[in-house]
Amino acid sequence: MGSVDTVFWMCTAIVTLPLLAFALIMIFTWRKPQLSLAISLVCSTIPLILAWYLFVTIRDVSLAKPLIVQVEWLVSSDIFRVPFGFLLDPVSLLMLAIVATIAWLIQIYSLGYMEGDPGFARYYADLSLFGMSMLSLVTANGLLQLFISWELVGLSSYLLIGFWYEKFSASEAGKKAFVVTRFGDTGFFMGLALLVIYFGTLDINAVNLAGLSKTMPQWLLTTTSLLIFCGVAGKSAQFPIHVWLPDAMEGPTPVSALLHSATMVAAGVYLITRLFPFFAASPTTLTVILVIATITLLLSSTIGLVARDIKQVWAYSTVSQLGFMAMGLAAAGLAGGTMFAGYYHLVTHAGFKALLFLCAGVFIHHFGTNDFFVMSKEGGRHLRVPMITVTIGALALAGIFPFSGFFSKEAVMGVLWHLPSKIWVGLGLFGAFLTAYYTFRVIFVLLFPRPDDHPAWEEYKREEPAGHGHGEEEHGGGLGYQAMCFPLIVLAGITCILGFLMGPLEGYLLGEHHPHDLNYLLLFLAVGAALTGIGLAWKDWGARTAKWQGFIRSFPSLENFFLQKWYMDHFWRWFLNAVIYGTFSKIFTYNDRRVVDGGVDAVAFSCQGGGRLLSFLQTAFLQYNLLFMVLVLAGLGIYLLMGL
Amino acid sequence: MTEHLASFPVLTCMLLSPVVGLLILLFLKENQAFAIRMVSLVAAGVSFGLAIYTFVSYDTALGGLQFVEKYPWVKAFGITYFVGVEGMNAPLLLLTGIVIFTGVLTMWELKERVREYFIFQLALVTGVFGVFMSYDMFFFFLFYEIAVVPMYILILIWGSTRKIYAAMKLTLYLMAGSGLIIPGILLLYSSSGLFTFDMIQLHGVAFAPWIQNLAFVFLLLGFGVLAAVWPFHTWSPVGHVAAPTAVSMLHAGVLMKLGSFAILRVAMYLCPQGFQYWAQFMGLLATVGIVYGVFVGLAQTDLKYVIGYSSVSHMGIVGLGLATGTIDGLNGAVFQMFAHGVMTALFFSAVGYIYDRTHTRDILQLGGMSKIMPVASAFFIVAALCGAGVPGMASFWAELLVLVSAVKVFPVRGLLAIASLVIGALFALRVVQNCFYNDPNPKFAHFEDVSPFLGLPRMILIGFMIFFGLFPQVMLSLIKSSIVPFIQGM
Repeated sequence: MGSVDTVFWMCTAIVTLPLLAFALIMIFTWRKPQLSLAISLVCSTIPLILAWYLFVTIRDVSLAKPLIVQVEWLVSSDIFRVPFGFLLDPVSLLMLAIVATIAWLIQIYSLGYMEGDPGFARYYADLSLFGMSMLSLVTANGLLQLFISWELVGLSSYLLIGFWYEKFSASEAGKKAFVVTRFGDTGFFMGLALLVIYFGTLDINAVNLAGLSKTMPQWLLTTTSLLIFCGVAGKSAQFPIHVWLPDAMEGPTPVSALLHSATMVAAGVYLITRLFPFFAASPTTLTVILVIATITLLLSSTIGLVARDIKQVWAYSTVSQLGFMAMGLAAAGLAGGTMFAGYYHLVTHAGFKALLFLCAGVFIHHFGTNDFFVMSKEGGRHLRVPMITVTIGALALAGIFPFSGFFSKEAVMGVLWHLPSKIWVGLGLFGAFLTAYYTFRVIFVLLFPRPDDHPAWEEYKREEPAGHGHGEEEHGGGLGYQAMCFPLIVLAGITCILGFLMGPLEGYLLGEHHPHDLNYLLLFLAVGAALTGIGLAWKDWGARTAKWQGFIRSFPSLENFFLQKWYMDHFWRWFLNAVIYGTFSKIFTYNDRRVVDGGVDAVAFSCQGGGRLLSFLQTAFLQYNLLFMVLVLAGLGIYLLMGL
Repeated sequence: MTEHLASFPVLTCMLLSPVVGLLILLFLKENQAFAIRMVSLVAAGVSFGLAIYTFVSYDTALGGLQFVEKYPWVKAFGITYFVGVEGMNAPLLLLTGIVIFTGVLTMWELKERVREYFIFQLALVTGVFGVFMSYDMFFFFLFYEIAVVPMYILILIWGSTRKIYAAMKLTLYLMAGSGLIIPGILLLYSSSGLFTFDMIQLHGVAFAPWIQNLAFVFLLLGFGVLAAVWPFHTWSPVGHVAAPTAVSMLHAGVLMKLGSFAILRVAMYLCPQGFQYWAQFMGLLATVGIVYGVFVGLAQTDLKYVIGYSSVSHMGIVGLGLATGTIDGLNGAVFQMFAHGVMTALFFSAVGYIYDRTHTRDILQLGGMSKIMPVASAFFIVAALCGAGVPGMASFWAELLVLVSAVKVFPVRGLLAIASLVIGALFALRVVQNCFYNDPNPKFAHFEDVSPFLGLPRMILIGFMIFFGLFPQVMLSLIKSSIVPFIQGM
């Protein structure tokens, strides 16, 4: 490890190079795809190398003794100063490496996926901006710097989700993502404002220490942690402001993979991990998080049961897994545990969810549809590499040994088990069952298409016209296809081995290794839940006799409720139209036109009218003028006489 | 306040450069369009250059008033030509320089009565420079009026959309404001017993509380009209809509700042107790303006109306910052004056280009402009993102400072203002989506994108916005150097 100064410059390079790429492409090379690609790749490869270098070489840090390098960024007064700096400890170093890797893999993958797109250069510019925001988010030293990166993540996701802006649905989805996450962010901002006023600093370490040593007043702690959780809920798509995330599938698939694996949505959970001692000091907040996360888990898993769009399924599974992580973190805080389980699930999830999305991307790119039934009909299973890797990802997501998801899910379940009430672990198991079911629904449908004359095809017809949503037809074997398969193989490899690194990772993160006494009952229950889910999926979708009807079909009203996404979209649409536009905006506008402006105009017009009226006195007829003079003089005389 | 005399009359040159340009224009003929433009550009460029020079070479360690020039004018009334630069007006001088320079470039394509147009525009900007640098109340007010009056003619002749109504409304409003300012100034002048208009000297007088309270409210409301303080804001969206592009830029970018700067420089500086008395009221009006502006803007369909109401909201942030009376709040308020000025100039500049081609500003008719003119659209989108408070742009820092200090001083109002940020985002993105995304309107498909030359002024604006967004301390250390003694003197 070099000196502190070198570390600072390396971190600065990690953060600023992608920003530089964004600026260069946007200003100079946006008409030249090849050059832009080169700039972007260079500016993402160097951070990748530096991130891994830091991860490997910085050894003598721990959560209690992080490495902090910073300079002053803005000093307004003694109480308001914003440093620009980096906080390097195991949590941020690991995340830094993961984010840099995934961002880099996505750039490679996009080579094939976005080939020939008219906005190719802009796409890489936005990816770079996204990379920069995420890298600075995970390393930020102060909460304000984190908040800035947080907002920039929001901005770049807006640009990426709405990338195909000429499509109304895409531009709408981008706007929705930005506004809904901003809705949570205002809470975050309020929390920061209160912290800076009543606590005096936004230094992450100081905030955590105050949580540990209980030096912060409890009211402030609870209020600010709840407010900060609003921001987390927005970014990590927790109920009730999760609605933006499924729509965010409008972006190109690599973007979905990027947003939904290790980066944007993980940012919320990462923030809880980052401020874990702070959150853990407030039982009220933890309980709120636990409840909301559980609702999120169940809501999204049930919607995942009925979705037909492969990306929607993965999106809802992301929402549910995020809920699961948040549950793990909240439960750990309540039961006095460590943040390891939730964070570990975040790490494994980053790998296998990116894998699942990228596989989906290959299918989508090949068949020009998002509907996995259509993919199945048109021979999806013949795409060998993606088919194998998607199955690996699905096994990990369902929590099957020996894939990474198995270990991390076990860890989270173990934490939930320690809560006094067993209802949480029960709900967690139920969520795991649903997850296994809907995941393998996708896999079985893809693997075992019905014969062409099967009645099920009536229901699962291709709805959009054949052909690509973008770009031209491409057949496997080209350079593009290989560029797309390479990340799949890498990620599948990671998914296979990451589970066995659990012990070393725990040692690395916490500086100590807790020997886990295996809870065989829980292990049995969790594996049982997953296997039941897969078994049921086999019965409904996989077996030769399966009718391709989900078990949910037996409950039509429930199915409809899930199909309508629990009416959350309806609710927010109503809120926006009826409350924001229909009430406030309308009333204020009316007031502005009629009352404020109308009042002024009324004064102006009455002056004008009064002038016109008085002008009748100026008729130039001498007799009238004399009469008026006399009248005024008489009035004046009377007034004076009365005064006497 | 310590005063450091100028070795070279930088400020007078900055002030006179547009005047000289204007005088040369008087001798040019209407058909020498290129010469007219070049003269205006050089005149504006000299001021711009000098503004940058003062901004860069102002010595924050030394502090106080620098580049001072002081010549007695009418001794009997105590009127002095007294100009200077300190931390709080240096950014505004720079802003004026930026906006006039880019404004002239933006109006390069003007065809109609080019000579007269630039004459009035230069006259206007002379007044603006004068207000920002004067430390004598008489000259302050004189320049203030010089800045306001040409606006009437500029809108009346080169305007669009109900221009007669708008010009009349704007002028009457501002005159009404002046009608409040004069009694305020004279009250302070006469009750001081010093027979001087020199603000620095008047600052030393401890006015009786009732005089302060009375004078402050006169000045607050009078200058507040120009700063578009709610509920005296309705002239501003109407005026923006009617005015030609560069006039909207100057108007929203700089003129509204005259009002808020004057509240700070005159009202708060001379009547600190009056300020304490009215601070709650000021904070209330400002918060209403912030929340109200975004909601009304949400319902607008004319691009310029949308920007107009966003200005109302953003100027509310300036007002809120001033009302807090804290170092952070005032720092933020001055920063916001600068940031909003650049942002809104960019807004109008971008809209101007599109309107000149399509002849519509109706967001329901425009659509998919990003496909047709990507660069011109990018300018607007950047401005809109800045308006939505995205970090990395100057206004983010300004809003941050103001809102945090507002939460401290007026918790409920501060939190309300923060909550309105989400509507602000919806507001900005709604416009962007309607105009620039979705399918292009085939009617406009043949228009060309902005040329590099016409893109230049917009790039300058973006450059300043992002530079101060990434390096806010450059601006803030300057502002702070005069705000800290300002607060201590209050």
